Amino acid sequence: MKKAANNKIQSIVRACRIILAMIEADSNTRQSQKMYYRMLLQYYTRLRDARENGQFIAAHTVFFPAEILLAMDIIPMHTETTTWMTSLFTGECGEILAAGARLGMATEICAPHRGMAGAFASGALPRPDVMVWSNMVCDNTAKSGELVMDICGCPGFFIDRPFKDSGLEKTYMAGEIRDMIAFLEDKSGKKMDYDRLSTIVERMDRQIELTRQVNELRKNVPTPFSPLGFLELLTIDYLFPGQPESIEYLETLKAELEEMVKQKKGAIPKERFRLMTLFIPPMYLMSFLEKLSVESGAVSVIEPFFTFWGEGRLDASRPVEAVVEKAYMIPETRMYGPLGESALEAIKKCAREWKVDGAVYYADVGCRHSCATIKLFKDALAEVDVPVLTIDCDVVDQTVTSEEEVRDKMERFFELLEDR
Amino acid sequence: MLSIGIDIGSLTTKTVVLNNGRFLASVVSETLDEAEISAQVAMTKALERIDADEDPLRFVVTTGAGAKGVSFSDRSKAITTCLARGIAYCVPEARAVIDIGAESSTVVKTNERGKVLDWANHDKCAAGTGIFLQQMAKLMKLSFEEMSELSETASKGADITGTCAVFAESEVISHVHRVPPTPMPEIILGIYLSVSSRIKTMCKRIGANEKIALSGGVALHKGLVRTLEKEIGQPLFVPDDPVCVAALGAAVLAGEEIQKETAQ
Repeated sequence: MKKAANNKIQSIVRACRIILAMIEADSNTRQSQKMYYRMLLQYYTRLRDARENGQFIAAHTVFFPAEILLAMDIIPMHTETTTWMTSLFTGECGEILAAGARLGMATEICAPHRGMAGAFASGALPRPDVMVWSNMVCDNTAKSGELVMDICGCPGFFIDRPFKDSGLEKTYMAGEIRDMIAFLEDKSGKKMDYDRLSTIVERMDRQIELTRQVNELRKNVPTPFSPLGFLELLTIDYLFPGQPESIEYLETLKAELEEMVKQKKGAIPKERFRLMTLFIPPMYLMSFLEKLSVESGAVSVIEPFFTFWGEGRLDASRPVEAVVEKAYMIPETRMYGPLGESALEAIKKCAREWKVDGAVYYADVGCRHSCATIKLFKDALAEVDVPVLTIDCDVVDQTVTSEEEVRDKMERFFELLEDR
Repeated sequence: MLSIGIDIGSLTTKTVVLNNGRFLASVVSETLDEAEISAQVAMTKALERIDADEDPLRFVVTTGAGAKGVSFSDRSKAITTCLARGIAYCVPEARAVIDIGAESSTVVKTNERGKVLDWANHDKCAAGTGIFLQQMAKLMKLSFEEMSELSETASKGADITGTCAVFAESEVISHVHRVPPTPMPEIILGIYLSVSSRIKTMCKRIGANEKIALSGGVALHKGLVRTLEKEIGQPLFVPDDPVCVAALGAAVLAGEEIQKETAQ
């Protein structure tokens, strides 16, 4: 099998295999965590081998409704997640960011998007058959998709998601999705299987419900879920929407957490600080952050913009409309789009109900949407007496923040919380 | 038992000794290559200044760069916590403290008990720090006192960026060499304004808007204090010994630790 020497997918596959071998042998590792790594291995192995297996690959940006691709038996490639998986598993994104810089992308641009463009340009990611993207929920993607089309010389389709969510906008978006299905049918030669889409939507509804139930369990003191475990929930949602593996993972996780709650066991030996996480921590610092969490007794108990789904259910009998409905329920939509009072109310509600001591805002310097909200969120959380630590950082670019800097700020913050 | 606070800064190490909350001594000494040696030298000097009949037992709290590595330290604490406790000790009415050190600037919002409510700091660039001012003084071949005096005669100040020390230096050079050159007082005021605007932004960010104190070596720089007061729109409290506020806070924290241990 011939693969590009710089293929990052192969690096991710190899890293997943090694981690899996290590945790399979560890009797203390949660079953759900083992399942999670098996799922990652499966996702990236399938993507790595797709071309050789004659499968049709659709690259898509974050929050794009991958349910559509899965219902059409198209291999999805989540571009931003793959970029930060590269950072997480190889600890090094410099090469693809440098390739992005060679394309003329300034350092002020969101690093996952810089990295994504660089990865395609340098051959670190396989050339997709099509690029599909949307403005759900980040506007960076609106331009990124076009760039990927240019770099890869592939056709593409952009789904326009209106910010507002009255009936009219949802009808418009359903039309957008139907047009995209027609585009995909034309390019891939595959027909949409609406029964399959209904099944996926039904499972997605269950997936959301299970995530809500997992979050309910996390309200317990001490909280049963690992300090940064929410990243698993996030990744499952990004890579496996409405897939049987997701349901199995979430049901297993839920059962594990229920058992821990029954035994009054916490995820870390001594829970001291219950944190709210706002935005995504730097991927290359994950091991360090995990270690620091355990040392300091700090655990993320809720993430209003990542795991705290909006209200509503998905109606599998109207699958396209349900995909639209989901687009407006995604936790992140509170942060982007027209940031309204509901976003501020949601974080205050989370702070109260999850008994949050403090919030950590990983302010990704390249994300103008999130950085613009720092003061708003800080003020809102001040109303419920929750201090906020803001860490200027980048999800994948290691040149923005050092481990030492993050440690210093975190320790200062924990001292503040302890001193209250 | 003596409570000793040691603040290891990038240029100087400060030590304060208290006994049951009573001030005994403070010392400022040069920071040496090793934090351990700097702290040891500073503490020895401070202890030489107190009466021989003071309690020989001691509890040491260290803060600043390398504080955790000091072997004889009983606790290390964050600089923000130390600044808050220190300012509550020497300026009880203060509800915020601006600390402009050699290589960083920090604003801490506090409550009446000297607890940290929030903080903002800038450590990405030398702009807004003591080193920056020192560099500018060197560039213009002036002492801090001369800069302060000259700034009094300035009208509005030259435009100098507040975001980057290197760019600011280039701007100052260009002001000096332009034809006709920008008058020196205007350049100096421009430098003060660039530092002050950066500090003001940090104050705004954390809502530090009243009863603000100033600490750190730069608090002795009268011209800057005057400019900062104008920018912030209120007089600043400057303690008698602004350089030792964090060390004082560390000593207060050492006292608290002694009380906790006694209570157990």
